[in-house]
Amino acid sequence: MQKNAINGLDEILFVEIPEGSVILVTGAEGTLKSGLAFSMMANHVAANDEHALYVTLEQNSESHLRNMNSLGIKKGSNLHIFDYRDMRYEWMNSELDLIKMTEEVIDSYKDKYEDLTLFALDSLNALYSISEHDNMRNIIYDFFSHLRDKGLISFLIMESDRSSISGQFSQFHQTEHYLADGTIELGMIEGKGGVKRYIQILKMRATKHAMEKHQLTIDENGISIRGPIY
Amino acid sequence: MNTSVENVPDLCESQEDCCKKFVDRIIKTNREIFIMLSLLEKQMCGYDIIKEIFSRCDVFLSQGTVYPILYTLEEEGMLHAEYSKGDMRSKKYSLTPRGREAAEKDVEDFAKALEQVSFLVKR
Repeated sequence: MQKNAINGLDEILFVEIPEGSVILVTGAEGTLKSGLAFSMMANHVAANDEHALYVTLEQNSESHLRNMNSLGIKKGSNLHIFDYRDMRYEWMNSELDLIKMTEEVIDSYKDKYEDLTLFALDSLNALYSISEHDNMRNIIYDFFSHLRDKGLISFLIMESDRSSISGQFSQFHQTEHYLADGTIELGMIEGKGGVKRYIQILKMRATKHAMEKHQLTIDENGISIRGPIY
Repeated sequence: MNTSVENVPDLCESQEDCCKKFVDRIIKTNREIFIMLSLLEKQMCGYDIIKEIFSRCDVFLSQGTVYPILYTLEEEGMLHAEYSKGDMRSKKYSLTPRGREAAEKDVEDFAKALEQVSFLVKR
């Protein structure tokens, strides 16, 4: 994925993200997790004539698109949105394994579009909340492997706070952080000039990146990354 | 060629266990054609399509393989989707004129290809 997929991304990402990378996009609510992932995907596929798939479990596609439009992010025809609304309603009396379904959905789009290179899931938390598996660690390991095998750069959105004391992610989500190739954290920080949004790459395997928190801004042209926040 | 669903051989009755795995594979690999074939007759939702193909072919196409095709065919202008009156949750699909034309041609080509394969393996 190109390091200029959004304005200023090259401030924090010095080389391109390798294909097959599974990247967590974490942060509290309202920190632009969905907007960042969607924006990077939309810009990348528009510039490279590739295809991308955004799977939303939290909202239906119309509602998601309304939100993205309000952020100044345009979809483009090569960015496909899949939501589970119709499937879940029509099969409400059946038990659906949504992790397996998501793998099948990816495979179907990959069959249709060989140049499908990017995938996003919004969100892992929602997937967990409606999936019932005894051994979630193994399931997630297999799911991540599936994404890598497909050669996709995957953004898995996950609402997750770090402890302000230990800096550790909650125990519940440590498996994902361990298994993922990268973690992008979004957050808000209060300073003299008021509350600012920030982005920080905590980890990105095989990719040179900045460690500092950088300011994340949003205006009518979409999302941009500015200089270091301190 | 009449591409009515009624003209498709009833695979449930004719197929034997030994060829089931091949029929299964052919239908799953070419599920887009079978989905469009189902819609030649009437508008249906994803649930109806899966049930229809299962009852006719004894092959279960999983939800994760059918709904993406419906969504992409709609994006491509091959299908028209509308929610049922009084029920904003049940989405019914029908073929657009372009979709119907493509479906009829694909079904015809697919049938010819199967005949060709049949000839090749029997000679």
